Parts: sequence; C-alpha cells; structure tokens
Amino acid sequence: MHIPDGYLSPQTCAVGFAVAVPVWAVAARRVSSVVKTRNVPMLAIFSALSFLVMMFNVPIPDGTTAHAVGGSIIAICLGPWAAVIAVSVALAFQALLFGDGGVLVYGVNCVNMAIVLPFVAYGVYRLLSGRAALASRRRVVAAAVGAYVGINAAALAAAVELGIQPGLFHTASGAPLYSPYHLSQTIPAMALPHLTVAGAAEAILTGAVLAYLQRADIGRLVANHRGVALTEADVVLRPARLSPARVAFAAMGVMALLTPLGLLAPGGAFGEDSPKQLDLHSLGLSSVPAGLDRYNGFWSHTLLGGYGFSSGDHADAAYILSALVGIVVVGSVAFAVSKVFVAIGRKHGRDRPADHDADTDSDTDLERSGTHV
Amino acid sequence: MSEPSYAAGPSRTSVKTATPEWLLRGEVAMCPCGCIGKRKRGSFVEKTLTGGSDLLRQVMFSEDVALQGGLLQRVDARAKIVAMLVLLVAASFLHTIAALLALYALTLLVAVTSRLPVGYFIKRVWLFIPIFTMIVILPATLSIVTPGHIVLELWSWHGHPEGFTSQGLTSAGLVVSRVAVSISLVLLLTLTTPWVKLLAALRSLGVPRMFVMVISMAYRYIFLLLGSVSEMYESRKSRTVGAQRHDRAARAFVGATAGALIGKANHLSEEVHQAMVSRGYRGEATTLQTFRLRASDAVFVIAACLCAAATWWGDRLLGH
Repeated sequence: MHIPDGYLSPQTCAVGFAVAVPVWAVAARRVSSVVKTRNVPMLAIFSALSFLVMMFNVPIPDGTTAHAVGGSIIAICLGPWAAVIAVSVALAFQALLFGDGGVLVYGVNCVNMAIVLPFVAYGVYRLLSGRAALASRRRVVAAAVGAYVGINAAALAAAVELGIQPGLFHTASGAPLYSPYHLSQTIPAMALPHLTVAGAAEAILTGAVLAYLQRADIGRLVANHRGVALTEADVVLRPARLSPARVAFAAMGVMALLTPLGLLAPGGAFGEDSPKQLDLHSLGLSSVPAGLDRYNGFWSHTLLGGYGFSSGDHADAAYILSALVGIVVVGSVAFAVSKVFVAIGRKHGRDRPADHDADTDSDTDLERSGTHV
Repeated sequence: MSEPSYAAGPSRTSVKTATPEWLLRGEVAMCPCGCIGKRKRGSFVEKTLTGGSDLLRQVMFSEDVALQGGLLQRVDARAKIVAMLVLLVAASFLHTIAALLALYALTLLVAVTSRLPVGYFIKRVWLFIPIFTMIVILPATLSIVTPGHIVLELWSWHGHPEGFTSQGLTSAGLVVSRVAVSISLVLLLTLTTPWVKLLAALRSLGVPRMFVMVISMAYRYIFLLLGSVSEMYESRKSRTVGAQRHDRAARAFVGATAGALIGKANHLSEEVHQAMVSRGYRGEATTLQTFRLRASDAVFVIAACLCAAATWWGDRLLGH
C-alpha cells in the first residue's frame, strides 16, 4: 500500500498534505494535553515500535507470510490520535531509509495508513466490543475484525487515489501521465490482496497481540479503556444509552443518506405520472378523463415545484434544498403532533387521579404510567 | 560413548550413540539456490531476522557513505533538502520521457561526483520499485486498458485489432522513468546526509520541534527495540528443531512477541521520560549545532532550480 513517487500527480499529493497536516496538528494537541513532558518520549518509542511491527512477518494460514501495518493495535492500546503520529513517523522512516513509499506522496500515504486505518479500525473495535469486559474473548474478535476492516478501508482509499489519475491527468493524445489504471481496475486489484492476505495479516496480528496483553499484561490496556470492567464479573449493567430520540435521529439520518439510491432505480412510481404521460391506448381510453384533467394542477402554488426552483436553475442544489426543507417540515410537524398528544395525555392524567386518590391499587399506577406513554 | 560428528548423516546411524538421531541430521537446503536438499521457503522467523539485519546493514552503509568527502556531502543539508524538493516537483510535472531521462542522467552525474558506488546506486534505485512498476504497468500498454493508436497488433477481438498502443507505451515509459528519477533524488539526499544533520535541517526548515524530536528519538530507540526483537526470534529459532510450522502456535508467538514489545516500549518510555525530566527537560529542547549557509550552498540551490527550470522548459518545447 506504500505508493511510490511518480504514481500520483503533484496535485493529488498536495491534497494529501492538505488533509494530513490539520490531522497531525490536532493529534499533536490531543496527545500533548495530558502531560507535557511525557508525550515526546512516549510517542518516540511507540513510533519505533510501529516501525518494527511493520517488519514482523505474520504467518498466514495458507503457508505464506505477510507484513502488517500495525496501526490498529497501536490505536487500541494508545488511542487513535497517538496511532496517527506513531504510524506517520514510521512511514517517514520507511520513505527516507528504505525508499518504501515516496516523499511527495508521503501525505497521501499517511492519510491512508496513519489516518484512515487507525480511525476505522478503532471505530469498528469500539462498536463491536461494546461494554464487554477487558479480558473477554469478544474484544479479541472485535480487534481482529476492526483491523481487517481498517486495512481494507485504507486499501480502498489508495485504490481511489490511484484510479482517478488517468481520467484527470493525460497528454493531448490520451496517454496517462501517472498511474494508468482506472477505478474499475484499481479497486479490484487492491481489494483482492487486502481482502485475503494483507487483511488476514493485520487481523491476526491485532487479535493475537490483544489476546496476549489480556493474558499477560492487562494493565497496559487499562489506560486507553477507561470505565471498562476488567473481568466479566465486574461488568455493571447500566441502562442503555439508546434513548428513543437518539434511535429516531439515527434512523432518520440513515434514511436521508440512503435516499440517493432511489434515483438509481429505473422507471417511475405507479400512479404518480402526470395525465400527459398516461399511455391512453393501453388503458382503452380515447382521452384523459375529464375529472382527472380538471383537478390535476388544481393546486399550483408550490414553493419548490417538482423539487426545483421555478426558474429551473441549479437543479442539484434545489433538489438537496427540497430534501432538507422536507425533512425539517415533516420533522417539526411530527414533533408538534407528538407534543399535542403528550399535552392531552398529561391533562387526562391530571384529571384522573382526583377520582382514584384514595385508591392505592397497583392497577391504577400501571394505568397512569400507560397514559403518560 | 563414540564421538558423533556433524558430517555423520542419517546414513551412518549404525553407530549407536546416546545423541538423538534428529540432532545429528544435517540442515537441509542451507544453500538458497536449493542445490543440496530440497528448497524451502524461509519461515516467518527467518524472514523477520533477515529484515532486522538488513535494516542495520543499510543504515550503517548510509552513514559510511555520508562521511565520504564528495560533492553532495559538502553541501548544507538544508540546501540539499530544498534542491531535492524542487527537482522532485519538477519531475512530477514533466510530460515527456526525454526530459525525465535527462534528469535521470543528471542524478547519475551527481552520484558519481559524490563518490557513491555507481553500481550500487543504480542497483538500489532500480531493484525493486521501478522493476516492480514495469511488471505492474505491462497490461496498461495494451489497448484493453489504454485505448488509442495501435502500434503492434497482437490479436483481434470480433474484428477489432488489439495490441500495444502508442499511448499505453508512452504512459508506461513516463511512469517508470518518473519513479526511477524520484527514487534517485531521494536516495541522493539520504545517502549523503547523516541522519542527525537531516533532522536538524528539517527543524530549521520549519518542521515543528515536537515532530523532529519524536523522529530523532524514535530513530535511536528503533535499534534498542530491534535488539529485543532479534533476541526473541533468535531464541525461538534455536529452540525449534526442523522447519518452523506456520500454525496457530506460530501466530500466537508473533502476537506474544509484539505484545511483549509493547510492554517493553511502555516501560522504556516511562524510564526515558523520568530520565529526561531529572536532567532538566521541561518540554522544550535546544540544539547546540548551528547551521551557517555558505555561498556554495546558495549556488547549489540556484543550480538545482536552474536544472529544474531547464528540464521543464525542454519538456514544453518537446511537448508542443
């Protein structure tokens, strides 16, 4: 995944640095905020460690060996921000000492392996491990899966960076100036080895190291796992942090993100055509029915007719604006309706206890709580 | 008890000894060419050990070369970094193979005047990445990947001729020569500059002090931790009889060595931190070395800029 100089255009390299530099700045601040004098020796030694972990040959079940990047295990042990700096320094050594990965491409390589990889791996690990105990098997599996997903995300990012080159940069005759392969070729070419060998190496290393630390040195993991129970017996069952409001917002967000899928579907929805588009012949009609003709277009005072501005300019922007307006309007109407219902319910609840005041029957309690919901 | 010798192979087991038979068996296929015994692929233990010794060898060689009194060794490290970046950017903007080859010839010339072993320099540049690039880029010369004017027809598909296209060949030439020029430029800098000077130059060119300190300390501790890794793998190798198996135990071993290394690193960072604080470290570092830019360094940077401009201008001339 170490892209050498010459494969990417200088413009892409500039974008790589533009993304990496702010992340480095934030990472340096985040890591320094704890103890000012400790960060330098700690980061230096873990950068050295990251460099050495990249040299480890991991035996893969098929009999060969492969190198791991090791960004995932450092993210799990020290947090993703420390991993950003440690892996970036290790990549700098590889570029300068071994010529493994270029100098102009250094920013792009850091985005892939030192930013995308640890953050994706750590996110998946946190998501899958949930509130499992620090010594649980579930954390090992979560770490391995996180590492696998992380390295594949990094490989996908590299494939996209390589794949956009021929379309953007070519000579007048059409000869690509940099990497000549298109996205349809780079993505499978990168995905195949990373879904199999390289992904397995990263997953095995991360899972095995976490299992070792659980067994031998669990204190090392505590620093980056604050509030996590050490063993199964210590797990405190706290109420879930998933409130109905959060679930509702998450569901709405997912739906909003999935909407563009609808645009890919061919054809239109049944019963939504305008009368002019009706295939009268196949329906056995000679003309548009009079009622349909009359009432269609009865209401034409719309704000964003046809999900666009009346002038028809900026179709994409207007479509997104319509979507936002729709979400806000529907959301506020639903909120207002629910408020009204809650208010009515509360009023009922206030009226009712007057009759049942003396009654301490548990049934009434249930009933009262029922009205509130 | 009779004396068993190493020459005694399994064929001479008639001599009864107390030593187990497997200990007397000679190691098969010690020769990498596989002329004796059967050829084995290196195990994960051997590969990791070889990687470690390769690292040391390369670093020591670079430091040796950096102390020779050639052209580049005499130039200020900052001037070299600026010149390398200017030429790298120029190389990445060139559109013709001829201009890239001219730049490559220039790097060879500078390598010779800097007393680098030229054979080694060429081998180091071309071995691995440009050769790998050539193989990878081979399919891109065909019309199925890069459509265009077909130079050499190889087969036809439903009446369509398919083969090498001039666009594909141009692109392959551009990418391979650009990769070679870029690697040569970086190698010229890193082979002729001691690591310490390189870092100090980065600092005075505006790289934040914290990053430079992290890099320089990391460089120092790589070798300490590498010692631990080598010891762990050597002891594993010496405990293993016969071939290393790539099984569950092997994966657990890799995990355990990396995990033990994390433990060591954590312990070490705590000790180093305390040692630094007790010697007066308060989060700021100062260096004793001061850089003085001489006229010759300025001349070097100007020459590099002129070379970059000349190749760029030549490139435009050839391109139109």
